[in-house]
Amino acid sequence: MNCRDKPELRERLAAEYALGTLRGRARERLRRWLRDDPELARDVAAWEARLAPMAEGLSPVAPPRRLWAKIERQLSFKRPFSLWKSLGLVASGAVAALLAVAVVLPLRPSGVPASYVAVLTDPKTNAAVLVATAERSGRVLRVNTLDPAIHVAGRSLELWALPRGGEPKSLGLVPAKRGDLKLLAAADQSLGDVPSLAISLEPHGGSPSGQPTGPVLYSGPCVKYW
Amino acid sequence: MAPPAQELDQLLSQCALGDREAFRALYEATAAKLFAVALRILRREDWAEEVLQECYVSVWRHAPEYKADRAAPMTWMTSIVRNRCLDWLRRPNPEPLADEALEALESPNPGPLARLEEGRDSAALARCLRGLDARQRQAIALAFFDGLSHAELAKHLREPLGTVKTWVRRGLQRLKACLGALP
Repeated sequence: MNCRDKPELRERLAAEYALGTLRGRARERLRRWLRDDPELARDVAAWEARLAPMAEGLSPVAPPRRLWAKIERQLSFKRPFSLWKSLGLVASGAVAALLAVAVVLPLRPSGVPASYVAVLTDPKTNAAVLVATAERSGRVLRVNTLDPAIHVAGRSLELWALPRGGEPKSLGLVPAKRGDLKLLAAADQSLGDVPSLAISLEPHGGSPSGQPTGPVLYSGPCVKYW
Repeated sequence: MAPPAQELDQLLSQCALGDREAFRALYEATAAKLFAVALRILRREDWAEEVLQECYVSVWRHAPEYKADRAAPMTWMTSIVRNRCLDWLRRPNPEPLADEALEALESPNPGPLARLEEGRDSAALARCLRGLDARQRQAIALAFFDGLSHAELAKHLREPLGTVKTWVRRGLQRLKACLGALP
């Protein structure tokens, strides 16, 4: 059958294909025709355009969070961890910033400076954008965002600990200005084997997968000061 | 509601250049809409998830072929999802829709049809659907939202197959005429 010569029929088939009521072999046949009949393809596209807005009537349903990770895996996107290889380049510039900041670190009320200090810098300008400190047995990471302009509307910045030879561990979302992030264990355990921290750009609310998904924007060394 | 077409167009063209960040943003902006479409047709979360995964993989791979002058981005992606769902239902057997399930189908009227009136891109369609005979409208809505075939429509609506086919055909004709007549 050639529907090319029967405008009414081709119109009906295009409409029913787009609506979904054309089934079975008729559906497959039409799909084959679509490949070499641009006019028919245009008819179908026109029907899809007429009907697709119906989907607006459905209330959105968030898919399970694992779905994105599965898509990335199927497309063999770089494993998130490999993003961190660029880190070495950034670290050296940050050491200077670290030293500069460390000497002016505020003292705790007891007069003892924080034990762990990290300074994260912008690799493009070498400017320090964030300082994080913790006491060795403390369970709090104090974060001071030196440059509030690093925040991106509608997105979140997530702070990561990069343990030696391990996968990044989330420390939480970067606060607007100053803020405390809870550590899962005392700093000696949480940061003891963490030579550097980094910040990635994530969807609003943070990485849905527990691993960085967006680009690494800032990073820097994390050292035990005393 | 999905973000404006221009924004999605932009993201799709970035995807065509291999921009994974843009793909991620596209996913964030559209996944919940498309998941709702798949879930409604397939009625099983695990199937809907699997179909959606295939669809996004396909969107990424075919992004370079997407042509904004042919279809709005949401139309393009919605059609990909609906087609995959219908193919899925045809596979040697994902359990045919049981009679009880057919009975239990939520009537799309007023449900999703009522919400159409509020949509930015769907107000015109909503107006034209309102102009249809109630039974034509219901048959089209069940076919679109729930993916029912003519035979399933006949069973669900307890009408002869020929009658249902006629409702769908006439309904679609009137819809086209009405949409074509709108400014």
